[in-house]
Amino acid sequence: MGVFDRLPPVDHLRSEKMCFVQLIMPAESARLAVTYLGELGLLQFKDLNEDKSPFQRIFVNQVKRCTEMSRKLRFFSDQINKAGVNSSVRPVLQPDIDWEELEAKLGEHEHDLLEMNTNSEKLLQTYNELLEFKLVLSKAGGILASSHDPVAPADRELDEHIYNKEVDDGIAYLLEEGVHLGATKNSGVKFVSGIILKSKALAFERMLFRATRGNMFFNHAPAGEPVTDPISGEEVEKTVFVVFFSGDQAKSKILKICDSFGATCYPVPEEMVKQRHIFHEVSLRLSDLEVTLNAGIQHRNKALESVGSQLWRWTIMVKKEKAVYDTLNMLNFDVTKKCLVGEGWCPIFAISQIKDVLQCATLRSNSQAGIIFHEMDPIDSPPTYFRTDKFTNAFQEIVDAYGIARYEEVNPAVYSVITFPFLFAVMFGDWGHGICLLLGAFVLILREKKLSSQKLGSFMEMAFGGRYVILLMALFSIYCGLIYNEFFSVPFHIFGKSAYECREKACSDAHTAGLIKVRDPYPFGVDPSWRGSRSELPFLNSLKMKMSILMGVSQMNLGIVLSYFDAKFHGNALDIRYQFMPQMIFLNSLFGYLSLLILIKWCTGSQADLYHVMIYMFLDPAGDLGENQLFWGQKELQVSNLLNNKNNMLHYLLCLLANNYSPFPLSDTPVAYGHCSCSMDALPKAFYLEETSQGGTFL
Amino acid sequence: MGFLVTTLIFLLSGGVASLLSLLCCNRGPSTNLFHLTLVITATVCCWMMWAIVYLAQLKPLINPILSGE
Repeated sequence: MGVFDRLPPVDHLRSEKMCFVQLIMPAESARLAVTYLGELGLLQFKDLNEDKSPFQRIFVNQVKRCTEMSRKLRFFSDQINKAGVNSSVRPVLQPDIDWEELEAKLGEHEHDLLEMNTNSEKLLQTYNELLEFKLVLSKAGGILASSHDPVAPADRELDEHIYNKEVDDGIAYLLEEGVHLGATKNSGVKFVSGIILKSKALAFERMLFRATRGNMFFNHAPAGEPVTDPISGEEVEKTVFVVFFSGDQAKSKILKICDSFGATCYPVPEEMVKQRHIFHEVSLRLSDLEVTLNAGIQHRNKALESVGSQLWRWTIMVKKEKAVYDTLNMLNFDVTKKCLVGEGWCPIFAISQIKDVLQCATLRSNSQAGIIFHEMDPIDSPPTYFRTDKFTNAFQEIVDAYGIARYEEVNPAVYSVITFPFLFAVMFGDWGHGICLLLGAFVLILREKKLSSQKLGSFMEMAFGGRYVILLMALFSIYCGLIYNEFFSVPFHIFGKSAYECREKACSDAHTAGLIKVRDPYPFGVDPSWRGSRSELPFLNSLKMKMSILMGVSQMNLGIVLSYFDAKFHGNALDIRYQFMPQMIFLNSLFGYLSLLILIKWCTGSQADLYHVMIYMFLDPAGDLGENQLFWGQKELQVSNLLNNKNNMLHYLLCLLANNYSPFPLSDTPVAYGHCSCSMDALPKAFYLEETSQGGTFL
Repeated sequence: MGFLVTTLIFLLSGGVASLLSLLCCNRGPSTNLFHLTLVITATVCCWMMWAIVYLAQLKPLINPILSGE
């Protein structure tokens, strides 16, 4: 064991050494210092104002401004999505914007956009109403023409030739009654024309009938195509109606009923000439409105495009500022109210970098006093930090998802770099698909630079972040595919001839009794003769189950051995005696023994039933093994295993009780500290992830 | 026989891979040890996988029965 002590420390095996530091910053350089520290990403501030609510903190106004700006940005992106505008991000040639300028600009853009939206909404409503009016004119005209007694052709012609210059007010479309005295006869009969939802037409008619006591005539015609309702904006089926009635009381009743049913009345003149005149005018107005509407939409889309090209940059700026102010809120003003005091953790190797950065900030902000940065004695235990590069980062994140190691505890990511892709490959096991995966991984890795500067969708982001994981998975999959002998599920005879052949040349019993083994086993992997045979599944299932047991037991043993080295590093003899030893004995006397049985069964080719052996080891330890005996002395070994195990567990549990000793040394570090190891990314990288939650921002 | 020879081959290739990693990516003792750990873990995993499949086929209890009529 001495050789292990003389080895240099393995990279990534344990957390970097951390130290507790205190920063004293003059107020004018504080913001700049925190911004630079954030971009460096190597300092975690401790929240000194934990007990204060968000509204009691110092920089609450700035945080409010940031939230307001991010709301405006979200509004812009919503509008852009709704309008379906694609804006290209022109990368570098944009000038840097000041914070105040940005705020003003955002307010301006929002105001403009809201105005444009209201205008186009109004225009759209008018447009839809005009469309309805046009429809009513055409259908009601038809109804009126058919309901009148045939007018003398001469009169009609006269009417048509007269171009009556009295134009009714082109503006009064809304809810004015279409009262018009009939030209020839029926001077007492008036009518109201309008449009109503098809679904309500029947009820409407009945209500009118009841209200006027039957003294009305209701005629309607369906609109034909779905019409956009001016108020709701949806496409609905409508019906054009004309109600003939006499008397004023009836008129008011009918109008009230129209109102309550949501029917809109449009004035339709009785004469053909006037109808055609108004129809022509409405068409003109419609085309005008269309042009205006389109122009409005173009204008708005242009504005959205210009906003959209800068949106991503602006969003990042706003997020950065919010993070800076959230961090500043964690600091305290000192007695003189001129300096901000902050405490935090940083890795020892980063101290010089941090000092440089603070120097930069002092110079940039033209402050007279420098920033004081010194180490302190810590009270709590430090957070864990692993200095990962692009290769180990993905693996460390996977391991952190299960739980972050305590400070200076062994980091399982060192072994997970290999075992995680390997176990994936054991399940994947096809070298054809493995090659496809390898090509995919190569594409991602070769275009690393280009892809890392783009904004990717959430799935591509995950795949890109795990590109080295996918590469290793692909390599191991190719290997395991060769072992399972599967190329898109087709076996090959790459490594020589199969070990199995027919009993005789004619192969008559190949489908009944099967092939026999004539040579040494296939040198690398599963024999290709198995594929497609009827007994393939029993063989492969048994093989894979036993493989899982062997691999699982060996990995568990690795874990326990790692805990031994960890206990030795911390000088924790208790852990070794009362945790490592019991765990080893327990695991190996049961599952290690099972693995041994599997290996012996394979090597000797015995027909022993291992299920039976394991179960009866507990049920009937002293009983005779009979045909399940795999080796000499097996029964004695089993009995001693059982007794050992029992004693071992009693020992372990008694020690737990006696020492009030919990099996997992409880850390007094709150979980939040542990999380710093994955949040200590540089600021720009962090903002490709979701927006950080309130108060939980670590720099 | 075949088992021992192939195990030796795995051992040798593991050694060669470690030497290669030491030669090509020599970046300080800690990192070298880290790379060595990775190579050794990979070799052991691969060897274990091969050995399990080989041993399972040494003295099989069933044989392939071709499917068909």
